[in-house]
Amino acid sequence: MSAAVEVQQLVREFKGGIRAVDGLDLEVRDGEIYGFLGPNGAGKTTVVRILTTLLRPTAGEARVAGHDVVRDGDAVRRAIGVALQEAAIDPLMTGRELLRMQGALHGLRNAEARDRATQLLERVGLTQAGDRRVGGYSGGMRRRLDLALALVHRPHVLFLDEPTTGLDPTSRAALWREVRALHEEGTTVFLTTQYLEEAEQLADRVGIIARGNLVAEGTPESLKERVGEPTVHIEMSDPDDGARACEALAGLGAVERPTERAPTRIGVRTAAGRAAIAPIVRALDEAGVAVEFVEVESPTLDDVFVAVTGSTLEGAGAA
Amino acid sequence: MREGRVVVALGRRALSVQFRRAQLLMPTFVLPLVLLAVIASGTSAGQGLRGFPDVESFLAFVVPGTIVQGTLLAGLTAGIAMASDIEFGFFDRLLAAPVQRTSLVLGRLAGTLSLSVLQTAFFIVVAALFGARFPGGVAGVLGTIALATVNAVAMGGVSTAMAIRTGSLSLLQSVFPFMFVFLFTAPAFFPQELLTPVLQDVSVFNPLTYVVEGVRGMLGGDSSLGSPLAGFAAAFGMAAASVALSTFALSRRLRRL
Repeated sequence: MSAAVEVQQLVREFKGGIRAVDGLDLEVRDGEIYGFLGPNGAGKTTVVRILTTLLRPTAGEARVAGHDVVRDGDAVRRAIGVALQEAAIDPLMTGRELLRMQGALHGLRNAEARDRATQLLERVGLTQAGDRRVGGYSGGMRRRLDLALALVHRPHVLFLDEPTTGLDPTSRAALWREVRALHEEGTTVFLTTQYLEEAEQLADRVGIIARGNLVAEGTPESLKERVGEPTVHIEMSDPDDGARACEALAGLGAVERPTERAPTRIGVRTAAGRAAIAPIVRALDEAGVAVEFVEVESPTLDDVFVAVTGSTLEGAGAA
Repeated sequence: MREGRVVVALGRRALSVQFRRAQLLMPTFVLPLVLLAVIASGTSAGQGLRGFPDVESFLAFVVPGTIVQGTLLAGLTAGIAMASDIEFGFFDRLLAAPVQRTSLVLGRLAGTLSLSVLQTAFFIVVAALFGARFPGGVAGVLGTIALATVNAVAMGGVSTAMAIRTGSLSLLQSVFPFMFVFLFTAPAFFPQELLTPVLQDVSVFNPLTYVVEGVRGMLGGDSSLGSPLAGFAAAFGMAAASVALSTFALSRRLRRL
């Protein structure tokens, strides 16, 4: 599979020697959704601005859709769609006017731009609002329009910089649906986010950036596996069954014994995860241990984040 | 052809937004007319001074000042709008598009040019309704509109260059009073011969002098009031320099990214 985005030893230094990006290497495969996860100030937006030719790197190389972002910026701009963090949309223009203007910027003729605007307004559910000024749109509507603007020329690679920040759950879900649909159509999506759930829900692979560098990368599942095995928690009916239960479960994984604070709770850490539920319940049944309920707790991307950066996503953001 | 469509699209946006934003509409259409009313009614006695040109009406004599004032303000609003685009991020949307960078400047100035056509025609119609007569006729009016638009583009180029260089909306807004200094050091509302000696000397070096006199000559149908050729030469000279300045400012800004 070829690379839609290739970054090698990318550095961006701002005034005062502040390194927002510090020797970053990453690769985004053609057709995948790449979740770029990190707290505020980690360097996500700086990377996006470099990849979209809005900022020059201090050192290193970056190629998007096969084109160098410094030497061949125009070819990069032809291949990409961009929805930046702050949906910079002129509030005095209507959604349709903005889409038509964006069409002209991407070389569409008048009639083409008009038709494309109508199609996209329908696609993002803004047909009714299309002829209203954007100043009257809600945050969710603006984000959807921003996405539509990024799609006018059917880009090969789509950059979405924190597309759902500040949105209500319904608007967020609508945007996620649209991103999934674009992915199914073959568009490569480079998505920056500070929401773990968003990365988990949408991304084929996730890169975690902290202090300007990539500290972990992989599929959400592989990243979580790296942190630790899932734990199957069993709630027993009778606290006196603890010893018997531990004995019965000994061969199925690392057993976490009941404690004084939770005398009816036993844990079994096992790579099998959910698949271990049936043998565990069978073993407890054979040992005559009555079970109230069973649940599986898997490591989250937050655990991954803590493991690779030493702080939580929120904590790192505040730092 | 492709870049032409870009310039037209950006020009259309610049013009439509101008009419939807009261803070841009007031200075470009209303303020010059208010000033015209004050000057025409308050200083019309000046027409009786020795050395004042032999004109049909004082109103017709000062209208060129209003027209040039309009072009200054139209140009300034181009810079304000550009600074606003930069400050609020809309300019990034334009920079992320595969268009020639000069088209971004020319698109903005195309809006200024269109605005100036409407504005100049509006001032002439209002002045005519209030009794101003223009012996230069239709040719004089069309020539005036042409000269005013070139001057508006020149002023737009200067303010756009400032906007691109600084990206500061508040700085552009603070330039507003200086536009009046530029205007009043030219014989906008009074003949050059009746200005104080110091102001007369300054006005010789102020290119607006030639623009305002060129307009006066065309509307008055009398080249002794001002040379249209000198007016066009001054306006084209300023326009060429300021457009070059703003495209240079943009390329510098992009290099500094």
